[in-house]
Amino acid sequence: MRSVTTSTSHASRRARAGSRSRVTILRGAAGLLVVFLVAELISRSGIVSEVFLPPTSVVLLRVAELLINAEFLSAILATLQAWVIGLAICIAIAVALGVLLGSSGAAYSASRAVIEFLRPIPSVALIPLAILVLGNDVEMKIALIVFSTLWPVLFNTIYGMHDVDPIAKLTAMSFGRSRLSTLLFVSLPSAAPFIFTGIRIAASVALIVAVSAELLAGASDGLGRWMLDASATGNRPDLVYAATIIAGLLGLGINGVLVFIERRMLSWQPALRQTREGSA
Amino acid sequence: MSVTTTRTDLLTIEGLGHVYEGKQRHEAIGRLDFAVPEGAFVSIVGPSGCGKTTMLRCLSGLMSPTRGTVLLGGAPVIGVPRDLALVFQDYSRSLFPWRTVAGNIAFVLPRKQLSAAERKERIDESLDAVGLSAAADKYPWQLSGGMQQRVAIARALAYRPTILLMDEPFASVDAQTRAELEDLMLAVRQRFGMTILFVTHDIDESVYLADRVLVLSKSPSTIVASLEVNLPSPRDQVGTRELDDFVQLRSKIARMIRDQSTRRPSAPAIGDSESPS
Repeated sequence: MRSVTTSTSHASRRARAGSRSRVTILRGAAGLLVVFLVAELISRSGIVSEVFLPPTSVVLLRVAELLINAEFLSAILATLQAWVIGLAICIAIAVALGVLLGSSGAAYSASRAVIEFLRPIPSVALIPLAILVLGNDVEMKIALIVFSTLWPVLFNTIYGMHDVDPIAKLTAMSFGRSRLSTLLFVSLPSAAPFIFTGIRIAASVALIVAVSAELLAGASDGLGRWMLDASATGNRPDLVYAATIIAGLLGLGINGVLVFIERRMLSWQPALRQTREGSA
Repeated sequence: MSVTTTRTDLLTIEGLGHVYEGKQRHEAIGRLDFAVPEGAFVSIVGPSGCGKTTMLRCLSGLMSPTRGTVLLGGAPVIGVPRDLALVFQDYSRSLFPWRTVAGNIAFVLPRKQLSAAERKERIDESLDAVGLSAAADKYPWQLSGGMQQRVAIARALAYRPTILLMDEPFASVDAQTRAELEDLMLAVRQRFGMTILFVTHDIDESVYLADRVLVLSKSPSTIVASLEVNLPSPRDQVGTRELDDFVQLRSKIARMIRDQSTRRPSAPAIGDSESPS
C-alpha cells in the first residue's frame, strides 16, 4: 500500500536532497581524495609493499591508459555485449512470464514448485554445465546471465501484477476495455515501477555474472578474461587494480543510467513524486 | 413495485437479486425492481452496507447478478454496455497515476473511431464542463481530491454515455467541495442531457439532486420507497434546502432509514447472523 505519509516524506526528503546535492557531491569527492591520498602514502612509504598495493597515482595513470587501449576496450565491449543481450533476453522472458503468472492464479500455483526448485541454484554452479553444453564463448555467458537475472525480474513482475489496484482494472473494464487491453494499458504500466526495480537488480547481477563467468570459465573474451591474463602472466598488480576500478566504474555507470531512465519514465510513482506547486 | 412514468424507461431492473456464495454466504440484494426514465436524475439512498456497490456492479455489467434482469434501452445487459459509464467513489484509485489528466480522459476515447482532432475536442469539452481546462497536463496526484473527482467525471462525460452511474462519488470530499460538485452535476446534466443514477448515503444530497429518490433497505436490499421530488429548478444550495418540501422529504427519508437500521426485518435474518444450513 502507498500511504500518503510515505509519499510526502519521500517528497520532502527529495526536496532537501536537491538543495544539498552540491554539498553532498563535494563531500563525496573530498572523501574519495582522502582515501586516494592515504593509499598513496601507505604505498610510497613502504608500509605496504608496492607489489601488494601500487601507488594510487600509478593506478589512476593505468586507468587512463587502459581507457584508450584498443585491446582492453574490446574486452570491455565483449563483456557489455553479453550483458546487453543477456539482459534483453531476460527482460523479454521474465516480464512475459511474470505477467502471465501474476494475472493467473492457476498458472502461479502450478509453476511455484518448479520456480522454488530452480531459483536457489547458484548461477556459478551452472558454469560447468554451461561450458559442457555451450563451450566458453559468448553463448555460455549469455545463458548464465539470463538464468541468474530471470528471478529478480520475474518475481518483481509477479508482485507488481498482484499489486495492481482492482478498482483501476474495474475502471478500464467499465469503459469497455477487454481483458487483454486492461492487462496492457492498466496492469502493465501500474506494475512498471516494480518491474523496473527488478531490472535494476538484474542489471548489476548480470555484470557480476558476466565477469565471474569470464574469470571462472576462462571465457574466450571479455573484461574477466583480460584481468585473468593480466594477473596470471604479467605480474602487473597496477594493471589488475586499474581494471578492477574500471569494472567498478562500469557498474556505477550502468546504475546511473538506469536511475536516470527511471526518473524520466516513472516519475509518477509515489516514491519519485516531486512536490510541484505545493500539492498534497 | 414498479415505477410508472410517461417518459420511456432507459434502464429497467426486474427482480434483481444477488447472493455471494462461499463460506459466509451473504445475500447482498434481496429483490430490486425499478426503472430509470430517460433524462431523469434518480438517487438511491440507503443505510451503510445495503448492497449499493453490488447493485451498481450488476447494473454496469461488471458482475452477473444471481437472479433478475437489467435492461438498458430495452436490451438485456450482458457484459459491459457501451452506453453506460460508471464513476467510482475512490477517484484516487480509479484515475491512472501514470497518465496526465488529458491522458486519463483519452483512455476512454477509442483511437479507431475518433481522429486525433476529435479526441482533443472531446477532452477540451469535458474538461471545460468540469472547470478544469487549465489542468489538462497535470497528473491526478498533483490535484486536490475534489479536482480529482472532477477529472473522473470529465472522463465519464467524454465517453458520451446515455446513462451515468455514480457510486457515492462525493463521499470523501469536504462539505464545501461536495456542494460545488453537486451543483456541477446539475449543470452537467443540463448541458449533456444525461440520465443519471446517483448512489449516496447522504439523504440531503439524494433529495437536493434528484427527480426521484429510491430508499433502500439493509442487506438483503429491497426498495422501501420510491419518492418523487417536486422541488423547483434550478436548485440552490441555500434556497432549496430551506423549502418546506425539502425539509419534509428529507425527514421522511431519514425516518425510513432509521427504522431500517433499528428494526430487524421479519424476512430472512440479516448479514453475519445468517449461516448456511
